Amino acid sequence: MKQRYISLASMTVLASSLMALQGCATAPAPKAEAPKAAPVAAAPAPAWKQGMGPDMASSKLAPLPGKMTVTPANEIPIDKLKLPPGFKIEVWATGMPGARAMARGDNGKIYIGTRAIGRVYELTDNGKERTNRVVVDKLVQPAGVAFKDGSLYVMSINKVLRYDGIEKNPTVAPVDLTARFNLPPEQHHNWKYIAFGPDGKLYVPFGAPCNICELPTPEYAQIRRYNPDGSGMEVLATGVRNTVGFDWHPTTKQLWFTNHARDWMGDDKPNDTLHRMQKTGLNYGFPHCHEGNMPDDVVKKANPCAGVEQPVSLMGPHTAVMGMKFYTGNMFPAEYKNAALVARKGSWNRNQKTGFDVVMVKASADGKNAKVTPFITGFMNPADQSFWGRPAYLMQMPDGSMLVSDEQLGAIYRVTYNKRQLAAK
Amino acid sequence: MKCLKIATLALGLICSSAASLSFAQDIKTKIQACAACHGVDGNSKIAGTPSLAGQPKTFLENQMVMIREGMRNIPIMSGQLDGFSDAEIIAIAKFYSSSPAISQAGPRNATLFEKGQMISKEALCGTCHLPNYVGRDQMPRIAAQREDYLFYSMKQFRSNQAIGRDTIMAASLYGMTDDDLKAIAHYLSQLK
Repeated sequence: MKQRYISLASMTVLASSLMALQGCATAPAPKAEAPKAAPVAAAPAPAWKQGMGPDMASSKLAPLPGKMTVTPANEIPIDKLKLPPGFKIEVWATGMPGARAMARGDNGKIYIGTRAIGRVYELTDNGKERTNRVVVDKLVQPAGVAFKDGSLYVMSINKVLRYDGIEKNPTVAPVDLTARFNLPPEQHHNWKYIAFGPDGKLYVPFGAPCNICELPTPEYAQIRRYNPDGSGMEVLATGVRNTVGFDWHPTTKQLWFTNHARDWMGDDKPNDTLHRMQKTGLNYGFPHCHEGNMPDDVVKKANPCAGVEQPVSLMGPHTAVMGMKFYTGNMFPAEYKNAALVARKGSWNRNQKTGFDVVMVKASADGKNAKVTPFITGFMNPADQSFWGRPAYLMQMPDGSMLVSDEQLGAIYRVTYNKRQLAAK
Repeated sequence: MKCLKIATLALGLICSSAASLSFAQDIKTKIQACAACHGVDGNSKIAGTPSLAGQPKTFLENQMVMIREGMRNIPIMSGQLDGFSDAEIIAIAKFYSSSPAISQAGPRNATLFEKGQMISKEALCGTCHLPNYVGRDQMPRIAAQREDYLFYSMKQFRSNQAIGRDTIMAASLYGMTDDDLKAIAHYLSQLK
């Protein structure tokens, strides 16, 4: 009984991506061309393990398990969550394993991306209850979803699809835009968060294909933008290790983004960060410099932090900062106006877990004087280090309420504020 | 984590007793079908077919979902899980994860065993699979797995053909020779 795996169309991509990964830890300098013919070199560590020092050889820290099966609403311990007085959180939608980023259509349908399970969901709200269906499946980590002018955009690691008029025509065949976007071959950290900016352009990150490395080619650790059809690509920022969440400041219209810092440098460093793009062409430090001022201990160069843009705020070591949204609604109290809410999915590369919450970041419009305070806590129990949920993304609804996706339980929660709720406490 | 476990246990209880009886009967039938290749207790006697006994529940759930969804393509498993509900997958995973793993290995080759032990330690397999290699959460038990399957599976990872499986594992075996992998497979298959 000999088993063989059939090679899929994606295999070529995967194979070349993994081969290219060989150069990751050791390549002396970036190469100019795409690494299609990269030679198979000696054994590098797997991407997530790179940079793991000999002092950590006995560590049992490893990425946390995802859950790929449906969790019914009555099995979600929502009452464990704590919010400031006057706020209420409820289970709003369930049954979507791996639910991550959300994009809202013009008619109110919500599209939700995933990673391992390969699906994009469509969520329909009839005002009383929510139902979902799978729009597309079998994609390679289709984490990126965005909606513009009646069309849904889906970006997986190796594919870009556009569904025109999908809210009215649920069976519409996608337009395949993949070739226009020139996606690089590496898989690691190249699952996407995507969003349209105030300029009508599609913003797309390209993560570093490793924990810590010299880039195999220069096309990684970047934020780019494209015209919606994939033309007009511009590289806006470099040295960005892995951003999977961003939003535009309500008054300055500048892009602010979260960034995952490297692992295996110790429990308390470096911090994940929140940044702002005050202009294009800036360098955010990877791989040589973390937090804007901390030289890397593996990938070294002279003056590693020279010219590196400083973060708006440190967001905690290994916390996994994900989606962020500036609150612009009228439901929450005035102090929330234009403040950023940031989901921290929670750490794995730290002996004491941290994150597993949503925080508020208040800063001036120019990114100064940032202050981070808890907003939603209770997904993780510090006493026994157990966790049940992992908040990943946020989306503001037209009524000013805020949706929070939980990637662990495939659920969406809704946060509301009411003065009467305050009085009731 | 605890609530996830309780959640899966609770599924059967929530249903009406009649429905729960037929659900249980249905699961039993489905597990009997698995037994044809994977062994009655999940310890496989068939070359090339992995043992499922003693695997972490999350690992089994994830793999079954990936196979059902077509994300992990194994021709011989193709269609076997079509139409299985999440609840059924969870119940099957629970059965196998609570069935003890029993090594199916033949006689020990001391030289090969020691070599495999050394490589497994140097390659830090125990970081994820735990120092006794019993696995945890989404990461499989490799102790007491079939030697032929371990060798086959590691070759798949090394040559980037483990399509739909964990990309984290994919690069872990680069640079190892067939002889290295044979030694690891021999060593792990002998463990309890």
